[in-house]
Amino acid sequence: MERRSYRTDLWIDWCPGCGNFGILTAVVRVFEELGLDPSKTVIVSGIGCSSKIPHFINVNGVHTLHGRAIPFAMGIKLANPELIVIVHGGDGDLLGIGAGHFVALGRRNIDVTVILHNNGVYGLTKGQASPTLPLNAKTKALVKPNIQQALNPIALALSSGYTFVARGYAFDGEHLKNIVKKAILHKGAAFIDVLQPCVTFNDIFTAEYYRKRIYRLEDNSSWNPIVEKPEDRTIKLLKAIEKSFEWGDRIPIGVFYQDTTVSTFEERILQRIKIYLEMSPAKSSIAEDGGRSVIDGKRFEEIFRDYIVDVEGTQQ
Amino acid sequence: MAREDVGIILGGPQGAGVETSMMVLTRALARRGFGVIADREYFSNITGRHSYIHMLVSSRAIPRSLRYPVEIIASMDAETLFTHIDDVANGGYIVYDSGVASKRLEEIVSMEDITRVRVLEKLKKNGVASTVASVLKFLERDRDVKAIGLNFADLLRRLMNRYRIEVSSLSRYVSGIIVSAVAVLLGLDVEAIKYSLSIQFSSRRNIVEQNLELFKYVEESLQSYRNSIALEKPKHNFRKLMIVTGNDVVAMGKIVGGLRYQSYYPITPAADESFAIEKYEHLRAEKDIGSIVVIQTEDEISAICSAIGASLAGARSATVTSGPGFDLMVEGISWAGANEVPIVVTYYQRGGPSTGQPTRGSQSDLFNAIFAGHGEFARVVITSGDHVEAFYDSIEAFNIAERFQVPVIHLLDKFLANSIRTIPPPDLDSVKIVRGSISSGGKEYKRFDLGYIVSPRAFIGVDDTVMWYSGDEHDEYGHIVEDPENRVSMYSKRIKKLDLIASEVSRDMKLQVYGDRDLDYIIIGWGSVKGVVLDALELLYRKGFRGCYINVKLLWPFPSREVVEVLSKTDRDRIIAIEHSYNVQIADLVALSTSIKIEKKIAKFTGRPITLNELVDALQKLLTSETTHVVLTYGA
Repeated sequence: MERRSYRTDLWIDWCPGCGNFGILTAVVRVFEELGLDPSKTVIVSGIGCSSKIPHFINVNGVHTLHGRAIPFAMGIKLANPELIVIVHGGDGDLLGIGAGHFVALGRRNIDVTVILHNNGVYGLTKGQASPTLPLNAKTKALVKPNIQQALNPIALALSSGYTFVARGYAFDGEHLKNIVKKAILHKGAAFIDVLQPCVTFNDIFTAEYYRKRIYRLEDNSSWNPIVEKPEDRTIKLLKAIEKSFEWGDRIPIGVFYQDTTVSTFEERILQRIKIYLEMSPAKSSIAEDGGRSVIDGKRFEEIFRDYIVDVEGTQQ
Repeated sequence: MAREDVGIILGGPQGAGVETSMMVLTRALARRGFGVIADREYFSNITGRHSYIHMLVSSRAIPRSLRYPVEIIASMDAETLFTHIDDVANGGYIVYDSGVASKRLEEIVSMEDITRVRVLEKLKKNGVASTVASVLKFLERDRDVKAIGLNFADLLRRLMNRYRIEVSSLSRYVSGIIVSAVAVLLGLDVEAIKYSLSIQFSSRRNIVEQNLELFKYVEESLQSYRNSIALEKPKHNFRKLMIVTGNDVVAMGKIVGGLRYQSYYPITPAADESFAIEKYEHLRAEKDIGSIVVIQTEDEISAICSAIGASLAGARSATVTSGPGFDLMVEGISWAGANEVPIVVTYYQRGGPSTGQPTRGSQSDLFNAIFAGHGEFARVVITSGDHVEAFYDSIEAFNIAERFQVPVIHLLDKFLANSIRTIPPPDLDSVKIVRGSISSGGKEYKRFDLGYIVSPRAFIGVDDTVMWYSGDEHDEYGHIVEDPENRVSMYSKRIKKLDLIASEVSRDMKLQVYGDRDLDYIIIGWGSVKGVVLDALELLYRKGFRGCYINVKLLWPFPSREVVEVLSKTDRDRIIAIEHSYNVQIADLVALSTSIKIEKKIAKFTGRPITLNELVDALQKLLTSETTHVVLTYGA
């Protein structure tokens, strides 16, 4: 398919120079390379600048509530596991108000890709400190230096159980595209922390700042993030967590961890419901023609027989 | 003389098997065609606090209400006897463990201090010492009660010796003593008990056998009491009866209605419904029917949002909660309203505010269900008067949600959720699944097509179709638009659904009127007060008061026209509103929707159900005096 067909013709109202443009481009290129069917692909977003992204892409888009993109995505995916589901949200959205959902998705390992637009601030509400802004940092919109500590999105994702964890940079398009592609192809919960300069409100984490510090993990030939067998899991996980705390003069991007030895949530459901994939919630018929329930009187008695008592005789 | 019904209390510490006793008895009684209604009262506690079952056994298949006093109290412990001292009828029976006869009220640590003080005062006033023996003596003398002491320890020791049961597991058989004693008093035969036990303990044959042996011991001890309280022959001829809690029956209705995704966060009294559904996740009868994903989410926010997601993909989906959880869901309900998503929230009220009374009942969330959410949008709130209604309404909730593409709140309560009833199996020929206007999409598809009030809905995932949703005001495609004219058309389209619903929902689904056409008075209420009101109407009719009951089922949009039509049949001061709340919110809702101000109100907010005795007294007072407001308080 042409690249053009994955873009809507809506005007994009992000600030000129915004890192979100890089993310949008990378995502669209992946769709193009994978030739994803727009009607079987869903982008689910929360609230904020980053979360307007579904409107700019010509696949199904669900622009939801602040922090709640993940639960919406979960419902869509579990109801119809055929769909490819991608979540977009900002750092405030996914790691502040939505942190509980973020953790829960990892625990479940549902086959959903989460793309974090990480710029350290709440842009759309004019620059408040987000959960990824370091303690004592003072961006220009803040009245006083940040009084709360930053959390580490990569370490949080790893300890929550995401089975694909990576970091990209909004202005390294080719690299980001490759990561997004791997994440979408990964079976299980995938997380990408995308460093994304906010040109209007974050005067610390600027493009200039990142240009000097960012390096690619894969440039070191000894870096192998992939868990080949379950026994390696703990060691790889610890290495990835250790690496995730490297921040300052050098900031790594690339894949931190990938584990395909953990069952996905869909596979766990399939263990319990053998027909889950061919008769998923969205695909199984609930009524016959004319509106009769597929559960008629006879089937009702068979299904719910535990509740039914056959009345016999009367007393004495 | 045989009786039409018998009231029973089964009491004991939480976790000691009171519920098992009720279940075994109910199934045995149903086997012989008797109807049972049983309310379960318990503390927010796992083990040890006083819990009891208040039941009514009747020759009707579906008895409608509970009343005091009861003819039989069967107690596992001393606390039951102190707590329910006022609840036994003249000439009634008390079965108790003779081992607790010397137990003093002061020793009962599981009783709340405030209750103990109240009971002590009562005993003092009657000159009764605070031991079980004195209480029983008082009841025997004062109310002609027969106190039947069984030596529980002896009975259990016999059983233990016979079957070499470990001492540590003996307490599990106390429920067997209770069941046996009540069965003997009612003259229920051992075959019915055997039938019930073998279902209750289907995988544990030896437990069935041991309980039957125990039945024999109890029967021997109670020879002279056999059949002391005989029931009339059942008045119906159903060949099958179901035994269901409100949670069960809603679960069944949802499954028959096509539920395919249910999310929940654990909360009393809603969680049991999801457990009941989960048993049927792989739904099959003679063939595979489908899969139901039941998921325990991380919180109620996730529960509602994921259910909405599943609905977007085309699954009939629902979530289930009670007050505190519903509060968290409100943002999601607003989103569903803005995006015209069919979604069902089954809302079991309990006592609030805040965590209030987690295990007790209430109807105080009417306004919360109707008005929760910011902005204006169409939502539907329906309620059910009893277990039978709840089954069909659970299906109708989905139909309404999909026909009009709106969130539907099915407002129920703990009284329904946790009470057991015997009901006939449903008539599935009368059930219809209506999915509303479904589109197969296509390249030109517009999800929010302004050519309709209810735009044809395509599911996410349909071939060659792409659509957008946004909580922001949007255009026909679902893209954000702040244009004022679009705002007016889109906003109006959504709200106009309320008029459409008011004109298209059937009258039966809006309200039902029971009782005399030639009216002295009208009662108006909703939800689980129905049964007790209908029984009260009957009793009052015999005393010469002719009344009717408006069982409101569609709470929002409120069926103003239909309600006015009925209310105008009597004088304003002969209208009585009833509710399990302080304010009797239904009266406010009627005033708001019809300008009819109802002055007379009956309220109960103890957390316990309204019983027939207190309701009849209250109604009589309202009908014969200037009293306008009665607050009911009966019950332990």
